[in-house]
Amino acid sequence: MPNRPGKKDIFLTGLWKDNPVLRQILGICSTLAVTNLMVNTLVMNAGLIFTVCMSSLTVSLLKNYTPMRIRMMVQTLIIASYVIIVDILIRAYMPDISEALGPYVALIITNCIIMGRCESFARHNPPVASLLDGLGMSLGYSLVLITIAFIREPLGFGTLLGFRILPEGFVQWTIMIMAPGAFFTLGFLVWIFKYFQPRNEGKETK
Amino acid sequence: MKKQALSIVYMFLITLFFASLISAVKFLNEAKIETNQIVKLQRIILKVLDIPVQEAISNENLTRLFTAQIKDIQIGKKTLYIGYEEDRRTIRGYAVPVGGPGFWGPIEGMVGITPDAKKVLGLAFYKHNETPGLGGRITEDWFSDQFKGLPLYPIEGGQNIFFLTPEGTQKRANELDAITGATNTSSAVEVFLNQELDFFLREFWGSIEEKE
Repeated sequence: MPNRPGKKDIFLTGLWKDNPVLRQILGICSTLAVTNLMVNTLVMNAGLIFTVCMSSLTVSLLKNYTPMRIRMMVQTLIIASYVIIVDILIRAYMPDISEALGPYVALIITNCIIMGRCESFARHNPPVASLLDGLGMSLGYSLVLITIAFIREPLGFGTLLGFRILPEGFVQWTIMIMAPGAFFTLGFLVWIFKYFQPRNEGKETK
Repeated sequence: MKKQALSIVYMFLITLFFASLISAVKFLNEAKIETNQIVKLQRIILKVLDIPVQEAISNENLTRLFTAQIKDIQIGKKTLYIGYEEDRRTIRGYAVPVGGPGFWGPIEGMVGITPDAKKVLGLAFYKHNETPGLGGRITEDWFSDQFKGLPLYPIEGGQNIFFLTPEGTQKRANELDAITGATNTSSAVEVFLNQELDFFLREFWGSIEEKE
């Protein structure tokens, strides 16, 4: 194995260089679904950060004991358990938001970022590194979602976190509330992100 | 063979561990979740009966207010709620559960109806799977408040109690604003709510009076 990346690099890779949404285009379903309101986005982010970190940590802790052939079953079980816990806690302590998010909390289970990190990182790496990798990736995801919500909520509702920030007479862009608005915003962000990324990166490995 | 047995035992143990963990979290929070649901329903019932409730009221006070002014009665399989004025004698109105298929899944709500069953006192939806920000806006006040004061009469010959039409195109008093961008949810609400109101007037109205 080439020289192992440092802890800071592991963290920053997910946050920026290999950003799960902008670079790997993963977790798009929830990105499109919950970003029309900032509150929903923040709760979704908290849920995802918890699930990714805990799943990566658990998978990494169990990596020497889990039989190879059933590892994906085990990962799914671990991820599903943490998501159900998140769902129960949101329902108990934030009933209003739980309703606004509807099925999307339970759908964190199917977010590819989580299993992606377990499969590609946590199962070959020590626990602390896996936790950091999960934290970086989920924060990278959160950052993108917050950016999208920051564009969609004001344009779609004229508000931010429920507070009116655009004048009363502002004509709301209904398309920003709907899925197409999310696609446009996301596409735009991916474009900007690609523009700032070093272009010759891919060629080096040839 | 030994490998397979090991896999099964491992899977069994890890499932046991996580299932217990979830059960524990669920057990610790169950009471709270249940209270949330009860309080939510009570708040909805008070709202559709147009009984003023302070915004920041605590759950305990809300439940106290509810038990003082609301009585439930069972008609068939449905639970109806009778709301009383503060003197606890005069009937303020009835809260009737309504529901039907929405665009994505079932929608459930509550309608407040005046004691003479001539008008709507209030309306609120509390359970749905509509798109957040679009069809999900049926829970917002601007939408449900339009129904206040809506005249009620049994439907005859293709008429409706109310219609949901695009904003700004209303010609008659029973034409209310639909939700922009959520045409499917709006028409679903129009269909089942008309039916439910009509059903109440025809089937329930008589049996409430008998029960009292």
